[in-house]
Amino acid sequence: MNTDFLLHYIAFPLIKIAILLAAVFTVVAYIVLVERRLLGFFQSRLGPNRVGPFGLIQPIADGMKLFLKEDVVPLNANPVLFKLAPVFAFFPPFVGFAVLTFALPLIMPSGKMHSFSVADVDLGILLILSISSLGIFGIILAGYSSGSKYPLFGSLRSASQMLAYEVPLTLSVIAVIMMAGSFRLSDIVAAQQTYKLYFVIPGIIAFVVYLISVVAETNRTPFDLPEGESEIIGFHTEYSGMRFAFFFMAEYANVVLICMLTPALFLGGYDIPFVNDLELYKAHPYLVSTLGFISYAAKSTLFAFFYIWIRATFPRYRYDQLLKVGWLVLLPISLFNLFLVAGIKLFLLK
Amino acid sequence: MKNEKPSYLRELVETREFELNMGPQHPATHGVYRAILTLDGERIVGLNSVVGYLHRGIEKWAEYRTWQQATPIFDRLDYLSAVINCHGYVGAVEKLLQVEVPKKAEYIRVICDELQRIASHLIWFGTHALDIGAMSVLFYGVREREAVVDLLEAQFGQRLLYNAYPIGGVRLDFPKGWVEACKKFLKTFNSRIDEYEALLTKNRIWKQRTIGIGVISKEDAIAYGLSGPTLRGSGVFFDVRKSIPYSAYPDFDFEIPLGKNGDVYDRYLCRIREMRQSVRIIEQALDGMPEGELKGKVPKIIRPPVGEVYFSVEGAKGQLGFYIVSDGKDKPYRVHIKSPSFINLQGLDLMSKNQLIADMVALIGSIDIVLGEVDR
Repeated sequence: MNTDFLLHYIAFPLIKIAILLAAVFTVVAYIVLVERRLLGFFQSRLGPNRVGPFGLIQPIADGMKLFLKEDVVPLNANPVLFKLAPVFAFFPPFVGFAVLTFALPLIMPSGKMHSFSVADVDLGILLILSISSLGIFGIILAGYSSGSKYPLFGSLRSASQMLAYEVPLTLSVIAVIMMAGSFRLSDIVAAQQTYKLYFVIPGIIAFVVYLISVVAETNRTPFDLPEGESEIIGFHTEYSGMRFAFFFMAEYANVVLICMLTPALFLGGYDIPFVNDLELYKAHPYLVSTLGFISYAAKSTLFAFFYIWIRATFPRYRYDQLLKVGWLVLLPISLFNLFLVAGIKLFLLK
Repeated sequence: MKNEKPSYLRELVETREFELNMGPQHPATHGVYRAILTLDGERIVGLNSVVGYLHRGIEKWAEYRTWQQATPIFDRLDYLSAVINCHGYVGAVEKLLQVEVPKKAEYIRVICDELQRIASHLIWFGTHALDIGAMSVLFYGVREREAVVDLLEAQFGQRLLYNAYPIGGVRLDFPKGWVEACKKFLKTFNSRIDEYEALLTKNRIWKQRTIGIGVISKEDAIAYGLSGPTLRGSGVFFDVRKSIPYSAYPDFDFEIPLGKNGDVYDRYLCRIREMRQSVRIIEQALDGMPEGELKGKVPKIIRPPVGEVYFSVEGAKGQLGFYIVSDGKDKPYRVHIKSPSFINLQGLDLMSKNQLIADMVALIGSIDIVLGEVDR
């Protein structure tokens, strides 16, 4: 075992994981703040602005509060499952970040390439889809083990909700995979760069179906049925303190993940708009990587804003109506779209 | 949704109904109302309403106060429309005493009543939408209510429970600059209602959540004794302001919005349109304000003649009636309140049959109950 191996297969990945986790935790904490400030803006009020300048320390204060709260396990609950459920809900969204690529690779003076991702595996998009579906188990377990009727409703709803959105979501992603010809996320972005065409244009139908389905995926208004705070209070009714915080963070990590996945699939990811990235990259690799990262961040922020906007605007669907929307509207549309995309791929994208 | 399960399912799985306790701490029951739901899955098959958590004995309380002292107690009935409650009681006592209330006082009363109706409907509007998941709407409603409450505060000196009118008239004329401020508010308010409607009325999700939900037919609505927008949503023309005119209402030109199907959506539309009509009434009253006295001739110590009286006003929730018995002493012998929230709540039983839990919150929102009035 030589030092090269240690460096490139152990040390660098670990450093990357540490940086990524730190970044993701920070973003997850601050997207809550951003959402609350933005909701305040939409709702003609201020939002949290007391803790620190512009309320910037609010997430830390919230975290401290939740951390110091009493940890209650109801008498009726199944203690093992009850404690396991938040963990189940917590880890999947964070795993998903591993396969994202954030910029074009960095070329070291030694000639080695360093990709801006932890594990750019060749089935990346499938990994994200399958792992994020695992998050549902956390919700179902939480509702099942709480020993209370309201959480049970929440978990039943989330199970039926998953049936409604998962199929159209996957089908709309398949449209992208067909156009790119690869499951690897960096390949999908590279395909958009070589075609000089973001997939949102040929895949506009897939894009719309995807946008609707991911709102359901992240359990947000108008599809926040498992939570349904004014109807059934939610699957985490019985949770308090840190265990609740796990669900909360998982939910927002999911939102962040989706916001970063969407540009990669449809808006060219770290591609810089109106510029031929690949040409420029040969001349100024560092500049293009940096600008690409900024462009990626900007696109993700756009989607984050979009989802918060949706939350501020719409009423909530009823869960049988969501099933209807999923099976009778989104599914046929996305199936039809597959044929369309196949045609586009055959005749236009060459 | 059909009642029957597919036969194969019945053979495979044994299902049974179960009970779910909704309230009194549920966020969507608008206070301490408790519904014990019998459920088949998420479908409601039975409803058992439990009320009384906010019972304060207001009717009995009134018997231990002199006629004037009893007035502020009734603000605590429907605390979102205290002005109208006060009008109801004061109007009943005036009818008992046969006091002539000056025209100007009646106009001021009408203006304040209608402002209060707008304020009450705005809170209904916000909470109803919040229950169905449209969160921002609550804040828009409260924003406008703030302006109304500011106006009422300038007139009465309070922000929630106003102790608005003395027996026989009103205490004070509008303060300086009030009329202009009110007109300014009314001007912006109509466009604000347009904004609300843009958010909800044509919203597909809103329509899906409300149209055809909680239908109550004309006949049932009358049989259950419903009143207010809950009744008018079913298309029954009954509004105390038109049907049993009181105060200065016959002087004004306004319409009573009626629904057609009696579902949640129609009740929603009724209330939204009612706010527009209230604006019309206030505008007319402000323009046609007569000169004159503020208070009729009422003795310092009131001892009404022996007898009984029934007087009702159109509250924000429906017909608010006061039945008062006097034994000629300085205190009421008996005050009975016909409270619209309590009677409208009975309709919930019929409306919630075969609906889903998610509809339950829409239904409670659509009959607009205030528990202070249900329990008294």
